[in-house]
Amino acid sequence: MATQDSPELLTSPLHQRHVALGAKLAEFGGWSMPLEYATGVVKEHTAVRQAAGLFDVSHLGKASVRGPGAAAYVDATLTADLSRIAPGQAQYTLCCDEDGGVVDDLIAYLRADDDVLLVPNAANTAEVVRRLAAAAPEGVVVRDEHRDHVVLAVQGPAADAVLDGAGLPTGHDYMSFVDTDVDGTSVVVCRTGYTGERGYELVAPVSVAEALWDRLVAAGEPHGLVPAGLGARDTLRTEMGYPLHGQDISRDITPVQARLGWAVGWRKPAFWGRDALTAEKAAGPARVLRGLRAVRRGIPRAGMTVTDADGGAAGVVTSGTFSPTLKAGVALALLDARVAEGDEVAVDVRGRAEPFTVVRPPFVEPSVR
Amino acid sequence: MYPEDLKYTAEHEWVRSPGQGEGTVRVGITAFAQDALGDIVYASLPAVGDTVAAGDACGELESTKSVSEIYAPVAGEVTAVNTALDATPEVVNSDPYGEGWLFELAPGDPDAVAGLLDAATYSAGLSG
Repeated sequence: MATQDSPELLTSPLHQRHVALGAKLAEFGGWSMPLEYATGVVKEHTAVRQAAGLFDVSHLGKASVRGPGAAAYVDATLTADLSRIAPGQAQYTLCCDEDGGVVDDLIAYLRADDDVLLVPNAANTAEVVRRLAAAAPEGVVVRDEHRDHVVLAVQGPAADAVLDGAGLPTGHDYMSFVDTDVDGTSVVVCRTGYTGERGYELVAPVSVAEALWDRLVAAGEPHGLVPAGLGARDTLRTEMGYPLHGQDISRDITPVQARLGWAVGWRKPAFWGRDALTAEKAAGPARVLRGLRAVRRGIPRAGMTVTDADGGAAGVVTSGTFSPTLKAGVALALLDARVAEGDEVAVDVRGRAEPFTVVRPPFVEPSVR
Repeated sequence: MYPEDLKYTAEHEWVRSPGQGEGTVRVGITAFAQDALGDIVYASLPAVGDTVAAGDACGELESTKSVSEIYAPVAGEVTAVNTALDATPEVVNSDPYGEGWLFELAPGDPDAVAGLLDAATYSAGLSG
C-alpha cells in the first residue's frame, strides 16, 4: 500500500491539497495520485452517482498537435473519424500499432483544423507523442504538454450546479468544450468524463490549479460535492464497462476484441492499424471483451481465470471489482468468441469456482447526457 | 486507537478475552488493518464448528480495492460468527473493536491468548 510519498514519482500541482485532505496516495502511471480521501471509495462513488465528485486527474497526458493540416494528420493516424466532429467538439479515439494492438486510448479535442489537443493516459503519453512526432508531416508540431496543465473532473448529477456556482460555463453538448477565463487565464471546460454521470473535465494551466480547485470545492459544498480519488473513478468506470488501457485494452487486445469498433473510422483511407483491424473484423475476433455479473458473492479481480459450464478454459478477467451501486461483483473479461451473453461461467476466486452471468455492459445505466 | 484490554497479533487482529460465549474469545481486526484495507464490502467468515490451528487462514475480508485473509489468532473451535456483517460489512470499518467483530472461538489452550502481543507492543510494531 503506497501511503508514503515516493521521491521518484511525479506529483500533481494539487498534491498539497490532497495531503491536507488526508488522501491515501497510490501510483498511477508514474504519478503519485489520490486513491481515496478519508471518506473512502464507497462514499465517494455514491456521491458521484447521487450528487457530485471532484477528481484531480492531472496525471492524464496533454499533448498538442498544431500547424497546417494538424487535424487531417490526426485523422490519418488515430482510429476515429475526426471529420465527423466540428471545432469545439471532442472524440474518443485510439492510437493503434500496425498490428492492431492499442498503444493508447485518448480523447481528441478539435480546436481548429490546425490545432488539436490530445489527452492520452499518463503512462502512454510519451509513446503517443513520440509516434505522432516521428511521423508528422512538415509544419505539424507535436508537443508534450503533460506538466503544463492540470485536469479536474466534476462528475455527477449536481455537476452543472457546481460549475454554475463557480462561475464556469455549463450546458454545452456532451463531448463538446468551451474556453473560459479564470483569473485571466484560459481554461477548457469539456462535457466529458469517465464515470457514466453527467459532468465536466477542466483543462487548466498549472498557475490557476489551486485557485480553481478551491473555487470548485467552495461552490460544491452546498451541493454535496466531495473530493473523489482514483479508486472511486475505477469502480465508476467499471460499472459503465469503460475499458482501461493496460487492462481491458492493450498492445495485445485490439479494439475489435474490445468491441470498440464504434471508435474506428472504418471507411477512412488510412489510420494506424487499419489493415490488421479490417482483417480481424472481417474474420471475426477469436476473443471478445464481455461483462460478467456475480450470481453470488464472488468479487472478481483482474487476472482471474474464467471457465465455461463444462469447466473448460473460457478466458480471463481484465477488470473486476465490487460494484457499490449493484452491491455485487462485476467484471470485464476477455472471453472466447463462443461464449455468449446470457451464458453462465465460473470465475476462479482464489480456488473457489464462483458463478457469474455473461452480460452486456454497462452494468449501471449511464446518465452522461 | 489500540485498546489496552485487548491482545493483538502481527496480522493486525485483536483478541478480547473473555468473549460473549462461555470459555470463548472474540476476534476482530485492528483500526490499522481496517484503514489499510479501505471500505470493506464483503466478509467471508469461518463456519461455526470449524477447528482451526493458530495462524490458519480461516476467512477473507474484501475491500473495494483488495482482499485480505483472516487468520485464527490461537488454536480452537469456532463457536460464533458475526452474521450481521453479511448485510453490513462496513461496520468493520466504522467500529472495528465493537460491532465489527468477526468471530468467537473456544481456545484449545486457555493460556494461548496470554502469549499474544499487548497494545503497546503491537502499536510499537506499526511505527517500526
